[in-house]
Amino acid sequence: MGTVVSIELADPLPGETLTKLVEDTCAWLHEVDARFSTYKDDSEVCRFRRGELLLSECSPDMRHVLNACADLWRDTDGYFDANAGGLLDPSGYVKGWSVEVASARLAAAGSANHCVNAGGDIRMRGRNADGNPWRVGIRHPWQADKLSWVLALSDGAVATSGSYERGDHVINPRTGKPAHGLRSVTVVGPDLSLADAYATAALAMGESGITWLAKLGPEGYESAVVTDDGRAFSSAGLPAAV
Amino acid sequence: MRRSTAAAVGTLFGAALIVGVRLSVSTPVVTAAPTDVDLAGSGVSADPSPSKSGSKKEATKKPSAKPTDSDAGEAGGGTGLTDGTFKGKGVVNPYGTVQVSIKIADGKITAAEATYPTTGNSATINPGAILKLKAETLEAQSAEIDAVSGATFTSKSYVESLQAALDAAGA
Repeated sequence: MGTVVSIELADPLPGETLTKLVEDTCAWLHEVDARFSTYKDDSEVCRFRRGELLLSECSPDMRHVLNACADLWRDTDGYFDANAGGLLDPSGYVKGWSVEVASARLAAAGSANHCVNAGGDIRMRGRNADGNPWRVGIRHPWQADKLSWVLALSDGAVATSGSYERGDHVINPRTGKPAHGLRSVTVVGPDLSLADAYATAALAMGESGITWLAKLGPEGYESAVVTDDGRAFSSAGLPAAV
Repeated sequence: MRRSTAAAVGTLFGAALIVGVRLSVSTPVVTAAPTDVDLAGSGVSADPSPSKSGSKKEATKKPSAKPTDSDAGEAGGGTGLTDGTFKGKGVVNPYGTVQVSIKIADGKITAAEATYPTTGNSATINPGAILKLKAETLEAQSAEIDAVSGATFTSKSYVESLQAALDAAGA
């Protein structure tokens, strides 16, 4: 599908080990792509939605993803909808989840300090090579070489959903039409799969997403939003770099 | 004894006023019970300070400690409940302080209410307090960063992106 993944490991480990960790991460992401890509006719998701597989015959990962999408549909009041458009497409969840799992695997394999960025969805742990919390810039929604916010965090996830890259690709499930009102939504929190889905759902909601995002605060999810007409909003706990 | 009180007031708290309450004891239970009775997460202690009651007199039977505060009013209706307004102890929970009070007239619970906090982190139990994102000025800054979060870029736009520049610099 063309998502580019950047992996940075900041652990004081031997070069061979680091290389192996990166290779294993890539292998995982390829496995995810083979299973969940809607562009590959023989992927598990395509076979499932053509009815060639029963749910009970699906892999544990597929069943997890489908369950998670169902939960998110409920928790976002229908605005995160893996069935929007008529055909099952869990990609909106899979993107963040695959990186969340990649980071967990890296941690289990001995990397306590890393930053994995898949197309703008980032999961980080520990500190950068300078020993400081990871500094993440949120891309300005109009000026591609500028940042609207700079965040600093050690362990956590940052996900951004926006209309400025792939155009109006986020559909409002209520209207069936492209969502409008918000140009960029960034969600920061402990789990990238949720942060990503929440950002997408909020974008689909349009301006009412601003109020919805505020309710995620108590659950540990902070946000930064820019509207189509250039107004900016952020939650009180957004980990902005000083 | 304490359990009966909890059951009666607990049901009342569920927004249904109970017109008559029959208790199995004859002593005024609301003046007894030195420990808190759990009431939907807030505690109601039987430590009454009746603001309105009939003639105040010392109860002849007082099962336990708290001698100075307890003033028994008239026990009415034969139900064992003492008339008056009784406030529970203010209980601090994550949303703030909650205090329950019940009014007893003629031996029956006629009203109950709870105060709840209206400020701070109490949006869950006070719908009027809406959590909001704060408005700010949209910045356009450059800074030293480790990574960029933006809308999913395609391979094509990645090449021109900030992230590519960062990755190249780190290579």
